[in-house]
Amino acid sequence: MTLAAIAGVGMTKFGKQTGRTIEDIGREALVRAMKDAGVARDGIDEVFCGSSYGGPLIGQRILRDLGMTGIPITNVENACSSGAAALREACWAVKAGRADAIAVLGVEKLTRLGGGTLPLEPTDVEVNLGNVMPAVYAMRARRYMHETGATARHLAMIAVKAHEYGARNPNAQFQNRITVDDVMRARMVADPLTLYMCCPTGDGAAAVIVTSEKRARELGAKPVRVEASVLQSGLYKTGFRDMASSELTERTSALAYEAAGIGPRDVSVAEVHDAFASAELMYYEALGLCRKGEGAAMIERGDSGPGGRQPVNPSGGLACRGHPVGATGVAQIVEAVWQLRGEAGERQVPGAKVALTHCTGGGISGLDHGACAVHVLTS
Amino acid sequence: MNGGTEYFPASRPWTEEGGAVRLHGSKCAHCGVAAFPPHPSCPACGAEGSQDTVQLSPVGTLYTFSEIHIAPKGFVTPYAVGYVDLPEGVRLFGQIETPAADLRLGQQVAVTLGPVRADASGRMVISYKFKGLP
Repeated sequence: MTLAAIAGVGMTKFGKQTGRTIEDIGREALVRAMKDAGVARDGIDEVFCGSSYGGPLIGQRILRDLGMTGIPITNVENACSSGAAALREACWAVKAGRADAIAVLGVEKLTRLGGGTLPLEPTDVEVNLGNVMPAVYAMRARRYMHETGATARHLAMIAVKAHEYGARNPNAQFQNRITVDDVMRARMVADPLTLYMCCPTGDGAAAVIVTSEKRARELGAKPVRVEASVLQSGLYKTGFRDMASSELTERTSALAYEAAGIGPRDVSVAEVHDAFASAELMYYEALGLCRKGEGAAMIERGDSGPGGRQPVNPSGGLACRGHPVGATGVAQIVEAVWQLRGEAGERQVPGAKVALTHCTGGGISGLDHGACAVHVLTS
Repeated sequence: MNGGTEYFPASRPWTEEGGAVRLHGSKCAHCGVAAFPPHPSCPACGAEGSQDTVQLSPVGTLYTFSEIHIAPKGFVTPYAVGYVDLPEGVRLFGQIETPAADLRLGQQVAVTLGPVRADASGRMVISYKFKGLP
């Protein structure tokens, strides 16, 4: 069922932008998306702004200097899924007929926080005992490797692929190619994850203009349709749960496939939440891009890389495009739209017709992840 | 450093008997699901005010682990962490005193007490941890 159209997209380059304010970064992405859509300031009915560490009224702070306040502005916090959750609100608001054109922003400036691992909620039990995001993924990785026979070299192959794509994306934080040996020799962050298997800290923003199909036609854009926009949260378990798979991603993507009336085989290109290399392997399986336990075989065959059967993260993913937390879900949509319009340059997936984006995360005790959003877009 | 200690959780939900540390969890009188730290209501069935206090087993099974090399202020790196499954059906996260190189999935680990980090004023925080059993 078509929910809405994406009439325009824009983003900043991702990376460390210490000399700019978060508001400035957000404005750049928004102005780019509005120009791409050919929509003026008074053509925007509402704004949803996703950010996890942007602070109070981040949307208003960005829109103020553009003279665009006055309309409804809703700020959305959902950890790594903040931007994707903001997009979902916009898609359903358009579908409900409440608005014809909505600007969705994802924005983050992580360099404001200093370096190191992301600050987590101090009331959380595991955080008090020393858990950090890389360890959350590292512990899952170890269990996954134990159960499937995948090795650290497979994780390294994911990192190498991410860099191959990052080198083709002028907006990526990392645009250098690396080898498996580089990854294996890199500094350990949380065993078995080395530095290149972990996404970087950075700044950036992305924006999309969500419209009704009618408005998209009026704007004369080559519109991309949103066929599914699904958000779920993790189930709380005090007991045992399978950490070698992602129940949350399986559940969310199943709902998205059903809503879009497609299956995993129909996906031409996917942007998935590779916060850590091991997660990408697990998500191949959870999204149904390969069978259970065959994530390692998928990267070995090159299925998810350039020229492969179902390229994953042609943007470079979180690993190389970068992961300014709240911006990521919207940046995935920007990449998906470029792919579907055939405007993705050196990293273009030939003939891409169906794009899936998957954004999940948020460290919280007892949950697979805090939130997960899956979108299906078609040309 | 002022040498004092604090505990996490501050309520110190554990007892020590002859070297064995037993954590105090909650167990739902309605559906039987156990939890740690103790919950005021049941996260599984939603029952309120029906949580019994239970002493959890002092030994569990290591489900998975990692060794952390980059950590927030107050933690001394590297340190091993893991998830430990107790027979009552509770999975706990915690630091492990045994070096990661000596750990393996599925091995038995014992609950113990010890420092986990320093707080903002430099005081050591004592909490439950694990140690590998031979």
